[in-house]
Amino acid sequence: MSRHVSKIGDPSPLKRLDEPQISKKIRLEIEVDENMSDNSPDRNRRANFSNVNGVNRNLNIHSVKPTTKKLIIKNFKSEPKLPDDYNETTWKKLSSAVIAIQQSKPNEYLLEELYQAVGNMCSHKMASELYKNLFELIDAHVRSNIEKFKTETMDRLLFLKKMNDTWQSHCNQMIMIRGIFLCLDRTYVLQNPNISSIWDMGLDLFRKYFMLHTLVQTRVVEGLLMLIEQERQGDKVDRILLKSLLRMLTDLQIYNKAFEQKFLQSTERLYAAEGQRLMQELEVPEFLAHVDKRIHEENERVLHYLDSSTKYQLIHTVEKQLLSEHINNILQKGLDNLLEENRLHDLSLLYQLFSRVKNGLQELCHAFNAFIKKQGRTIVIDPEKDKTMVQELLDFKDAMDNIVASCFKKNEMFSNSLKEAFEHFINQRTNKPAELIAKFVDSKLRAGNKEATEEELERLLDKIMVLFRFIHGKDVFEAFYKKDLAKRLLVGKSASVDAEKSMLSKLKQECGGGFTSKLEGMFKDMELSKDINVAFKQHLNINTPELMPLDMTVNILTMGYWPTYLPMDVTLPAQMVKFQDIFKEFYLSKHNGRKLQWQPTLGHCVLKARFKAGQKELVVSLFQTLVILLFNESDEHGFEYIKAATNIEDGELRRTLQSLACGKARVLNKIPKGREIEDNDKFKFNNDFVNKLFRIKINQIQMKETTEEQKATEERVFQDRQYQIDAAIVRIMKMRKTLSHNLLISELLGQLKFPVKPSDLKKRIESLIDRDYMERDKDNSNQYNYVA
Amino acid sequence: MKLTIKNWTGVATWRWVANDDNCGICRMPFDGCCPDCKLPGDDCPLVWGQCSHCFHMHCIVKWLQSQPVNQQCPMCRQGWKFNNK
Repeated sequence: MSRHVSKIGDPSPLKRLDEPQISKKIRLEIEVDENMSDNSPDRNRRANFSNVNGVNRNLNIHSVKPTTKKLIIKNFKSEPKLPDDYNETTWKKLSSAVIAIQQSKPNEYLLEELYQAVGNMCSHKMASELYKNLFELIDAHVRSNIEKFKTETMDRLLFLKKMNDTWQSHCNQMIMIRGIFLCLDRTYVLQNPNISSIWDMGLDLFRKYFMLHTLVQTRVVEGLLMLIEQERQGDKVDRILLKSLLRMLTDLQIYNKAFEQKFLQSTERLYAAEGQRLMQELEVPEFLAHVDKRIHEENERVLHYLDSSTKYQLIHTVEKQLLSEHINNILQKGLDNLLEENRLHDLSLLYQLFSRVKNGLQELCHAFNAFIKKQGRTIVIDPEKDKTMVQELLDFKDAMDNIVASCFKKNEMFSNSLKEAFEHFINQRTNKPAELIAKFVDSKLRAGNKEATEEELERLLDKIMVLFRFIHGKDVFEAFYKKDLAKRLLVGKSASVDAEKSMLSKLKQECGGGFTSKLEGMFKDMELSKDINVAFKQHLNINTPELMPLDMTVNILTMGYWPTYLPMDVTLPAQMVKFQDIFKEFYLSKHNGRKLQWQPTLGHCVLKARFKAGQKELVVSLFQTLVILLFNESDEHGFEYIKAATNIEDGELRRTLQSLACGKARVLNKIPKGREIEDNDKFKFNNDFVNKLFRIKINQIQMKETTEEQKATEERVFQDRQYQIDAAIVRIMKMRKTLSHNLLISELLGQLKFPVKPSDLKKRIESLIDRDYMERDKDNSNQYNYVA
Repeated sequence: MKLTIKNWTGVATWRWVANDDNCGICRMPFDGCCPDCKLPGDDCPLVWGQCSHCFHMHCIVKWLQSQPVNQQCPMCRQGWKFNNK
């Protein structure tokens, strides 16, 4: 409809716009204009006007139906005119309305009327003038408004409130004014791109005067900063006021320039000072909690009144001043305590905070690593603590694992670092940890260890394997483990075959079949021995039924598998010698080309002993047996006699006598009494022996093993290592043919799985050169050639 | 008799009765096994020739198989005959 108006031979001279979207409005405005203006008496115009359409339509109809009545349209006789003073009078009305609005007074004109007046002015090419007038009006108002503040010397808070009121009313007024001058916005402003809309004009003016009066501006900004600082110190402040004023700054587009920078600076100052101070005053956990609280607060602040664009910088500033600056301090001062006391909650917080700042986690990881190394070293290095070392290591590992899992979010960097640190410190003390781990396993696998169920034992073994994995000198472990395993197997003290086998399979998995082949061989020997003993019993029954029965079992060991035992010659009672000989004959008849060596150190017996109080069974070693059996002849023997009769090595004999006469279960009485065995001591069979148990195990007193036996084991390990070094050297040289000394050493260090000194390697190389496996290069003494 | 032995668990170690420490063919110790075996003992026995020389059974058999004529002891070049003591 309206489209027609504008397009088809529009009779109205007022028609100026071609835009179809607004043409309807234009018509409306025109109508309004017509009605309002008193100088257009012609009331028909309205009808005429609408007839424009009619005409057009009629023309069309006419061509179809010529019989219809004709309606003739004529142009206006004269163009409608506005009165000459229209501009002034209308503006007067409008300006009075605007001023009324600005002063919050009731308006004497209807808003509708004002709106139409603006429309009329716009359509009569008075828009630019109207805009200018309006601009001046607003300009004056804003200026006076803001200048008011220049002289104000009131309290800051009041000042801010007033400022806020001014701003709020400015906004309200501008909304109102814009409503009235909507046509201006929609026509004039739209057509002139370099003119800003009424709302923007209002903002521009506000900004202009706000910026102009720096005093006002700084007072506002400082007031805001003061409020924020008060809030930071824990006071309650008017957040709505803050929010509103900050919105004002944002709307005026001076948030960044006027406020944000200063705000960030003051934040930085505040937290720099606070960080320094609290770092001194507070313990680390409290400090962390404080930092966390601060970050939380600042986030809240952003949420509640700051512009969201500030968030990144603000939080960054806080993190920088409270965390980044103090990373080292925090770690040095507090981390060790937290870790030692296992304060999971604080550690989680620490991790969480440090993950916020650059390098935080690296530093934390570094310190964590250092802590483990330090702490671990104290566990490992002190010989006083050897007894509890493995248990402590296990506990320590558990605790650290737990921390990584629950506080450090299983961060891989940390778990790797954990492993690295353990590996580092556990190898700080050569050989001893390996030895102690082996002994620990022994104590757990020993019979009579009833503290753990099978699953618990299994879990424990798994944990031990983790420690074992860290150890470089695994051969040391193997040597000691083998020694202990031998004892367990030979004395029948192993808690459970399943557990032994499971441990074996774990070792095999970890280090390969080569590592465990000897251990497996030991198990195999035990099984073979069982078969042999069954066969031997049958043999006895058939061939020598007349012999006095002696229940004899023999464990036959293959030399290579077992630890080497020093053969020791002792004098056995005739009966035992007889049995030994029968067995030997029997065995050699089955196995051609072998020789058998008895190992009296490892034998043990169960004795039946009759005391006054009744019969008891004594579980004793072979040496103890030999000594006790002497007392069948006579109740009392001197040391020298016993020594001559049994032929047991002196030190061994003294220990044996000590175990029988000075231990818990005293089947012999020593005369005179005392702990040490002297050459002139006499021993008497203790007929009055009492014990509530029927079967009594008399423990052997361990040789002060630590020194001698340990040295022997270590020596053996060292021997084995030499072979390994030789093999590795030959392997490398065979592949490379020629190699310089340094390269050879570095390759060797890469291949060898145990710690080794370069000087030892040098010795092995010399030895190989002597044996013609390789030679020094004739021209270059630092280079070796492989000799095929 | 106040004291009698109820049972006795003795321990003995065995080794080969050989006139040398190492096998003359593979140079491995007799306490160990030949290079093809993993476990010493019954799986990898020793054998003696009438010349009194002794080898891992696997080693000497391999050697003899590689000598179609004139089967000799690799040590003393006498004709090889197993000595079944």
